[in-house]
Amino acid sequence: MYDLIIIGGGPGGISAGIYASRKKIKTAIIAETFGGQSTVSADIQNWVGTESISGLELAQKLEAHLRAQQGIDIVDGERVAKVEKTDGGFKVETQGGKTLETRTILVASGSRHRRLGVPGEDKFDGKGVVWCSTCDAPLFGGKTVAVVGAGNSGLEAVRDAIPYASKVYLFVRGDSVRGDQQTFEKISKDPKVEVMYGVQVQEILGDQFVTGVKYIDAKANAVKELKLDGVFVEIGSVPNVEFLGDLAKKNDVNALVVDYATQQTSQPGIWAAGDVTALPYRQNNISAGDAIKAVLNINDYLHKNK
Amino acid sequence: MTHNVTIYSTPTCVYCKMAKEFFKKNGVKYTEHDVAADEAARNEMVDKSHQLGVPVIDIDGEIHVGFNRQDLEQSLGLR
Repeated sequence: MYDLIIIGGGPGGISAGIYASRKKIKTAIIAETFGGQSTVSADIQNWVGTESISGLELAQKLEAHLRAQQGIDIVDGERVAKVEKTDGGFKVETQGGKTLETRTILVASGSRHRRLGVPGEDKFDGKGVVWCSTCDAPLFGGKTVAVVGAGNSGLEAVRDAIPYASKVYLFVRGDSVRGDQQTFEKISKDPKVEVMYGVQVQEILGDQFVTGVKYIDAKANAVKELKLDGVFVEIGSVPNVEFLGDLAKKNDVNALVVDYATQQTSQPGIWAAGDVTALPYRQNNISAGDAIKAVLNINDYLHKNK
Repeated sequence: MTHNVTIYSTPTCVYCKMAKEFFKKNGVKYTEHDVAADEAARNEMVDKSHQLGVPVIDIDGEIHVGFNRQDLEQSLGLR
């Protein structure tokens, strides 16, 4: 029986692991990988105390810091499948078939790419539908691609595609761009880039690979088709909370509702921090700080409820 | 046992870097093709994997798309 199980290996989970170990809480951390979503970033310039570091390097440093701690059990390469309430706390099952019991849980499982949910998206996954523009943009040399989504990650995907693709469409769902205006101004000046407003993708078309999309042109109120070789989907994220079932309260977009002062969820014994929560601002530093706050509160709770 | 390992990668792909570091750590020799620059290698990768995404790793003819440490360990007989 553990006192604490941390779910997730991003900046939140790792910070929590370090603090839990220093507080001598009997802890296990379950993580599929270490480093979190920014692992794929080419350059991170806002991790406090470090002027510039690649996402991979930061991930490796975080993992090394965690592994240097005493008395914490690290269950890596495993994803949590289910959490159930028990008499004394919770039972956590992994997809690999491991079962662990614990008094408290910190959910720091982050979020993942939101999918379009249109026909063709699954079929052409990896066949022109791209989820990691930094990784795969170089494969579209001389090709025509579209980036769906005009938040910051959409604008960055356009920036990733420009050096390779011959034409880059930016599909904006509404009539304005949500992402950073400076970045937008820069990319929209590039002669390769064409910004299209009021575009709702209906279907991804193709045979062996993507050949185009069918979309609603809201301005013309018409369904149209556009020839494309690649579709980079960047329409935000969804929290990784499925394993919790109905144990804790979520908001309208399935993010865990927490008390900002303590990071407690609606379920006594379960805390949450980072991108999985309904709190605003998705940042490595914030996930780390909020997860530490949670562990300190868990420590108080464990001492009060011996 | 020596394995015949080829990785198809792009210079910006973090998962490719992770895979290469994994090979180095385990003393696995590999051939690398940069499919951003080498179009013939890109076509070869598409032929083998029927998809466009990196990394693609060929271990003795067995094709892996993406970096999954457990799968690679299994294929290389490391676990």
